[in-house]
Amino acid sequence: METLIVDAEGKVTIPPEFLHKRGLRPGDAVALIEAAEGFLVYQGGVDPQTLAWWQALSEEDQRRAAAEARRYEALSDADRDALWNEGAETLEADAEDDERELPAL
Amino acid sequence: MSFQPSSVLLDKGVIRRVYERRVRMALSTPPTPAQVEAANVYAQLCIPPRRLYITAQTAHILQRRLPLFATPFLAETYSLQKGRYLRRWARRLRALMFAPEDAIVVAYGSFGIDLRVPSIGVEAIVTTDQRLATHFHTRHAVIAHRFHDMIAQLPAPYAALTLPTVVTTASLLAQT
Repeated sequence: METLIVDAEGKVTIPPEFLHKRGLRPGDAVALIEAAEGFLVYQGGVDPQTLAWWQALSEEDQRRAAAEARRYEALSDADRDALWNEGAETLEADAEDDERELPAL
Repeated sequence: MSFQPSSVLLDKGVIRRVYERRVRMALSTPPTPAQVEAANVYAQLCIPPRRLYITAQTAHILQRRLPLFATPFLAETYSLQKGRYLRRWARRLRALMFAPEDAIVVAYGSFGIDLRVPSIGVEAIVTTDQRLATHFHTRHAVIAHRFHDMIAQLPAPYAALTLPTVVTTASLLAQT
């Protein structure tokens, strides 16, 4: 962990070794994320899993994925929330029929 | 990443944000910081391979999405089955002021069954929900007390179950 000092203008300087290690250049954007521990300075870019997924798609599949992505992004926040809340599980005792007994370990 | 559990339950919010990060990738539009955060944690948890789990509800939602987006998640994770007493524990968590959906996720962490191994419970639950993680840690002593009281009343195989840890995607990145 590196301690950075906020100057009078609210700026902090990222040490050169970190810039070099992360390949950051002047003008690159970083995100400031508020977490329980404080602020995280976060470097953008594409993570390897997302990149691998995209690169594994054929051109035709990339076009289909883009069409689906446009439909998804056109949904309202409420519609997206509803989509991700489908099939919510109940806590009621009378729904316990689908619980499985612990298999022999 | 210093956090190296062998089994992790990804809550629905994590999967949603990774999914939406891929939506943005397909559109060549910038992702939100929350999407980047979840996608980076997901990538770090995938390598080296470990047992990654989702709940039955998350699997149900993914199965209804376009396979181009959903299939990789369903291949890289396994849907935990609800073990006996899962809902009983979730109801006790509700009494400790967990939201219904949070209570279910935390209960999966102890009573979710992987029929392939077979095994029950996970080492860690990863969530984007800071409120859930904070509540779990704040009330951990009483949660642990209630948990041990409950499993002590159960038949032998269940008496050895454990509580998972609950960590946020942001806290995992802070450990990188």
